Amino acid sequence: MTIYWVIAYFLVLLVALLYKTPIVRGPWLFLFRSFFPNWKFFHAVGYVPHLYARAGKLNGQGQIEWSDWLHLYPRQPQNFWNLFHNTQTNLGLAQQNLIDHFWADLNDAPDGHDPRQLVTYKMVSHFVDVKLAENFPDHSHKQFELRMLLDNPQQTTHTHVMMTTPPEVRL
Amino acid sequence: MNLDWLSQFTLSTPLAIRALECLFALSAGIQTSEYLRMRSAMNAHGLWSWAIQRQDIPNPLAQKFFDRLFTENAFSALLWARVLALISLGFYGANLVNVTFLFVSNLAVLIRWRGAFNGGSDFMTLVVLTGLLIAQWLTFFDAPELGWRACFWYITIQSMTSYFVSGAVKLLRPEWRNGSAMTIFLNAAIHGPLQQTHLLRKPWLATLGSWTFILWECAAPLALLDTRLALVFCCIAALFHFLVFWFFGLNRFFWAWLASFPAIVWCAGQINVLAV
Repeated sequence: MTIYWVIAYFLVLLVALLYKTPIVRGPWLFLFRSFFPNWKFFHAVGYVPHLYARAGKLNGQGQIEWSDWLHLYPRQPQNFWNLFHNTQTNLGLAQQNLIDHFWADLNDAPDGHDPRQLVTYKMVSHFVDVKLAENFPDHSHKQFELRMLLDNPQQTTHTHVMMTTPPEVRL
Repeated sequence: MNLDWLSQFTLSTPLAIRALECLFALSAGIQTSEYLRMRSAMNAHGLWSWAIQRQDIPNPLAQKFFDRLFTENAFSALLWARVLALISLGFYGANLVNVTFLFVSNLAVLIRWRGAFNGGSDFMTLVVLTGLLIAQWLTFFDAPELGWRACFWYITIQSMTSYFVSGAVKLLRPEWRNGSAMTIFLNAAIHGPLQQTHLLRKPWLATLGSWTFILWECAAPLALLDTRLALVFCCIAALFHFLVFWFFGLNRFFWAWLASFPAIVWCAGQINVLAV
């Protein structure tokens, strides 16, 4: 008898995959989303958000001289022992998850909404502060932008800028 | 003569329970030790500063509660208490106290990381923990057999669903069917990009790899037909999760899914449709 229940379950699942259902949202639902796993891993290829930041310093004429854009994308070397303890890689993955959430928040925000009110914006801004302080200890200004990159198996084929912050004074 | 091909492969309930407890303790132990090492990323100067993240909490009373729980000292104490609970789970087995504490503290840790730290591995960790919680509470109400049965089936259905859905959504995408998605994801991975001479840059091999994973994932529910199939399925799944770790750095996925395997083998033993 059990086998029929199992078969029925997977048939229902198959049907559910083919029909799109409305997305339920809410702050508590977001925090407890682990109770509602969707199990869709690495399924869709498309534009991926990447964070770029640059540091500025005031020159003698009172103008900002900017550094080159810094691509803040996590990369780590492979190591077998990381199977048992993988702190840096997991932090890097969490960092990129944050960028994905930031992009999703920007995408969902209504027209005219100030993105600086978003928690993800504040977290990304704080992250940029930390990273620029490591690379440019004496900078006085910062700016960051979210670029959407479309890749094919060989290279990036298209890029567009989704958002650029105004120059901000370093906190 | 009637040969018994199955009994030697069928996992007894006590052995399945012990394997589940030990593998889950190991999986959650690895996660907790990593959280302990990440505390510097969670202080006021780190990326995951609670001073900013607290604005995610919609209720002022809850915000105050978490403000206290997520001070550096209190959160460290919580993580160390989790280590003790996991040791108790691994060495002495599940009971109502250690499993309930692990469940509640797991929710707190997830909230500290805005609902999920690592996505899928958090989901599967919660699935196994929920299964253990169901077993313990039903045991508390004098229904241990029903409790463990519910635990194993809940974990198995979720684990099988994870493979099946993951395979089915790939099957529906043309970029997975032609193999290009695999190379694109590997290039974008934390250990990427692939070297120019890497074998997985060859389109035919990427296509073959994609189809192998898609078909294997979609066929996952068939593992429930027989214990021997379930054992073979779990061995291939372990290799699959190792490859995911090796290329994408997702070590937690390996352990989180491994913890669900005793439940899968046990449930297959309850069905054994192909028994001859």
